[in-house]
Amino acid sequence: MEKLIDLSPVERPANAQPWAKIQPRLKGVIALSSVLPAVIALAFLLISGNEFMGVLFTVFLPLQILAGGFAGFYGFGRRGILDGLLLVVTYFFATFVLVLLVSVLWSVIENGGKAISPHFFYQNNVYVDPTAPLEIGGVGHAIIGSFLIVGLATVITVPLGIATAVYITETQGKSRGLIRSLLQAMSGLPSVVAGLFIYALLIASGITQYAGFAGSLALIPLMLPTVSRVAEEALRLVPKELRNGALALGAPAWRAFLQVTLPAASSGIVTAVLLGVARVIGETAPLILTTFSANNTNLNIFEGGMSTLPTYLYNYVTMGFDTSLQRAWGAALVILILVGVLFAAARFATRSTPAPKAKKRK
Amino acid sequence: MSAQFHLSSENVNVWFGERHVLKDVSLQFPTNQVTALIGPSGCGKSTFIRTLNRMHELIPGAGFGGKVLLDGQDIYEESVDPVNVRIKIGMVFQKPNPFPTMSIKENVLSGLKLSGRKNDNPAELVETSLRRASIWNEVKDRLNEPALSLSGGQQQRLCIARGLAMDPEVLLMDEPCSALDPGSTRRIEETILELKDSMTIVIVTHNMQQAQRVADQTAFFLSEDGNPGHVVEFGPTDDVFNKPIDSRTNDYVNGHFG
Repeated sequence: MEKLIDLSPVERPANAQPWAKIQPRLKGVIALSSVLPAVIALAFLLISGNEFMGVLFTVFLPLQILAGGFAGFYGFGRRGILDGLLLVVTYFFATFVLVLLVSVLWSVIENGGKAISPHFFYQNNVYVDPTAPLEIGGVGHAIIGSFLIVGLATVITVPLGIATAVYITETQGKSRGLIRSLLQAMSGLPSVVAGLFIYALLIASGITQYAGFAGSLALIPLMLPTVSRVAEEALRLVPKELRNGALALGAPAWRAFLQVTLPAASSGIVTAVLLGVARVIGETAPLILTTFSANNTNLNIFEGGMSTLPTYLYNYVTMGFDTSLQRAWGAALVILILVGVLFAAARFATRSTPAPKAKKRK
Repeated sequence: MSAQFHLSSENVNVWFGERHVLKDVSLQFPTNQVTALIGPSGCGKSTFIRTLNRMHELIPGAGFGGKVLLDGQDIYEESVDPVNVRIKIGMVFQKPNPFPTMSIKENVLSGLKLSGRKNDNPAELVETSLRRASIWNEVKDRLNEPALSLSGGQQQRLCIARGLAMDPEVLLMDEPCSALDPGSTRRIEETILELKDSMTIVIVTHNMQQAQRVADQTAFFLSEDGNPGHVVEFGPTDDVFNKPIDSRTNDYVNGHFG
């Protein structure tokens, strides 16, 4: 009888990555070279009593580089030295930056957490003096102010930013290069200058008093470069074959853009908007100059001072009392949460659209 | 004089910037015939086919001289809207380009939507268009799935169906099979032969066998020594392949160069 070949799948064996095998002796050297410098540096730190940062960079890093080079040489000969060095340097600085970021995040969460309670989110600041206990008062008015001011700025900036991106990517306009360079320059604009500009234009000249919408106007030049440049990237990623396909079907350019190019770039454009919002939600200087601040909840964006989270934070830091500092930390945490939510939303928006890869189906 | 032909070109010249890339191309495309454009890479045949439905002018720096006559009317005349030209003259590209944000059905109907026209019976139009592109049986149960869920060959036939839904008089195909496997290629060739009963077809191809299988007449393009591309030989496919007048045609169709 004919022998049948077994074609059923088998379980993945434990050693299915033969390229990842490391000799046990080499493992020992790597372990030693990773631990030894840390131990020596720690001992040095305790005995000499020098500053941590100094010891980190003058004792630990050189030792660790030496050890990495040695481990590389031991394992792979001369070509291993550079590999080892590079590995050490990469890991060291990556860890260093990560520790810095996490420590900033942690200090905001730790200090801000003390001020946070449900009422901190919805109460406003009326009748709250700087030394008042944390049981009363909150940033409700500032959250509303931030939403109103950033919202108005977004409503104005997004069409402008997308239109700019469309001009740069979809037309043969002669000043495309110039506008791109200007946008690039604008993204380096100090935010206080944007605030001063609106202050001089609208408030110092007496056209209007401090008001929320002046703050929105000051945020526009800060938000515009981010929105238009991210939207530009998104539009540029749409294959030109799609646009040509639409035009070849007899579509006028505007329909081809609205019905083919724009939907294909939609996730990128949502990202552009969210990144733009995240860019300005923490801006302080332009708002101090244009919206002033308020303790009450002001819903009228065209009249009267208005508090926002960053200006609230600034005010309470400058007061300098223990409880006012706590409130400032709390406001910082609220901003951090908002930005976090925005970035998560941006990630989600980018991911949830149909990937432009053909999913083959038999 | 050329009114007896459905579509024809008279002394078409093309420049990109200052570079002259196509010189004095005069070809006639009769109704219900397939015309193949062959020639080595860079000889200007893709450029030429794009002048036939005014897709050429979308390339920055493009220049054009001469006439393209559709039913005796020069489509480059000032009074002619390129949008109307492209509605009458459909095009299928080298790379399948279904619209990724649309379903299979929406892709077929996209031409109507994009040109702002209405159809009383979209379901029927979807079926006839997909049938004419011989892909109906494969997709009839999944019309609402995204177009990108199809295989490459199916995507290309969907693009043909999308063009056919506009009921064009002329179908231009720019190397429609170069990204496809032999099976899909054969199916598209069968589709071409069925379609020619109802329209005029122009196809650019690098595949000599394909030209011989589908084309009634063939034009051989060549660009030599940096000179602009031009038509070396134009005639019935049999003649061009089996008894070419020009020795360069003979060398090319027999695989001696290019």
